[in-house]
Amino acid sequence: MTMNEDDIFTTVKTNVLAVLPDLDPDQVTMHGTLTDLGANSVDRADVVTMTMEDLGLVIPISEFQEVHDIASLVALLKRHS
Amino acid sequence: MKVVVTGMGVVCSVAGSVPEFAVALREGRCGIEPVEGDGDGGPRLAATVKDFSFPDAVAALTGLPETLRQEAVRAAHRSPEALQMDLVSAMQAYGDAGLHDTAPAADRMGIVVAGHNLSSGYVQQMFPKYQDHPEYVPASFALQYMDTDRVGRISQVLGIKGEGYTVGGASASGNVGIVNGSRLVEAGAVDLCLVVGATTDLSPMEKRGFATLGAVAGAGTDDPEHVRCRPFDVRHEGFVPGQGSACVVLESEESARARGAEILAELAGYDLKLSATSLPEPDEDGEATVMTGAMEMAGVKPAQIGYVNAHATATPLGDEIEVRALTRVFGDDIGTPWVNATKGLIGHCMCAAGVVEAVASVIQLRDGFVHPNLNLRRPIDDGCRFVRGAAQPADIEYALSNSFGFGGFNTSIVLRRPPHASVRHG
Repeated sequence: MTMNEDDIFTTVKTNVLAVLPDLDPDQVTMHGTLTDLGANSVDRADVVTMTMEDLGLVIPISEFQEVHDIASLVALLKRHS
Repeated sequence: MKVVVTGMGVVCSVAGSVPEFAVALREGRCGIEPVEGDGDGGPRLAATVKDFSFPDAVAALTGLPETLRQEAVRAAHRSPEALQMDLVSAMQAYGDAGLHDTAPAADRMGIVVAGHNLSSGYVQQMFPKYQDHPEYVPASFALQYMDTDRVGRISQVLGIKGEGYTVGGASASGNVGIVNGSRLVEAGAVDLCLVVGATTDLSPMEKRGFATLGAVAGAGTDDPEHVRCRPFDVRHEGFVPGQGSACVVLESEESARARGAEILAELAGYDLKLSATSLPEPDEDGEATVMTGAMEMAGVKPAQIGYVNAHATATPLGDEIEVRALTRVFGDDIGTPWVNATKGLIGHCMCAAGVVEAVASVIQLRDGFVHPNLNLRRPIDDGCRFVRGAAQPADIEYALSNSFGFGGFNTSIVLRRPPHASVRHG
């Protein structure tokens, strides 16, 4: 089943806000990066794991090397959905 | 060089702060209750921290700057509860010592986290996720299962950049931490050191092991309603697991005076000796040796010790051997010091116990009382001056606090009320 990009983004956003609760939800957009939002290396990895779990996906860690912003993260997740 | 206590913090089953702990000790409040479940033969009594809320506990630290409180929540809002409790007790002690107002340079402050195998309960909670989908074990697990995460995260929040590490000695870990923290200060490696008695998150499997060993009260099919934690009573039958964290700030007297910090007590002496054993059995010789050693370091005679905070877990053999060691050390003066067991009120806080009990001892020195021994009806010994009934007023200058651990760890510390301090009758 291929998931809708908006649904995937919503899941990513939920997890970003769980990891960084101080953020204004409007700050989390497709165009931003997790680093710019204040996520450290462990926070970023946790957002990925939490989102994979929520979406029921398993993606090899190595594939996340191509991820450089939220848009490319959502694209990778969508490709495996 | 004199090493003094300039700050204290505590979170346990009967108190969320040092002032609350002072009231609870004086009232002899008990935090031990029956627990649901554990039908696998494990302990069915526990002294747990009820309704702990990390954001609320941090928000309550109104004496600390808002930015520090925000940083704490940011740094640890997803951490296991055990670490959150340790961070709260460390922040209390940091604030109590006035370090938010005036502190030595960051690299002159150290931290010793007393304890080991601290997060087994958390690890066991994660195990089903690993079994079902190892891919979903989060990266943060790799940090959070480690005891050293307590060092890393507390130092991050409080900006501590001197020496830091964990130390362990089973149930004596708290005193092992106090000894190490004091040595860092004495050696001049730091001006002050936070010693954190770490919350020990035992897994059900570990608790079952203690029950199999015959060390816990109210295990197996015993009706928890009819079992109590009874240190020094003929009906004692084992320890009750307690949840708790405590922190003391140990500081050179010179640094404390330079900062204008209030000196709560002096760490006048300590001793730590092994029994050369892997076994859980207590060792009368080892216990007597460290009590004597701690008093010698403090330059006091047994008759000057007004109070003993006993290790006293309420295991029959442990209590009996400690009484024998006390009797040997105090000799004709055995009737002089008051003796009580904080574990009878708040259970056995495992790795944190020594620091929790150091805090309890300083409170009693400062406030001029000794807390009751709960459930003590028929003492196992007539020589010791056990506190009976309610709290008693007591003008104590020197206190001895014992902690002993499986595997032959014998420790004892001597705390002294500051010479100029008068007793605060609350």
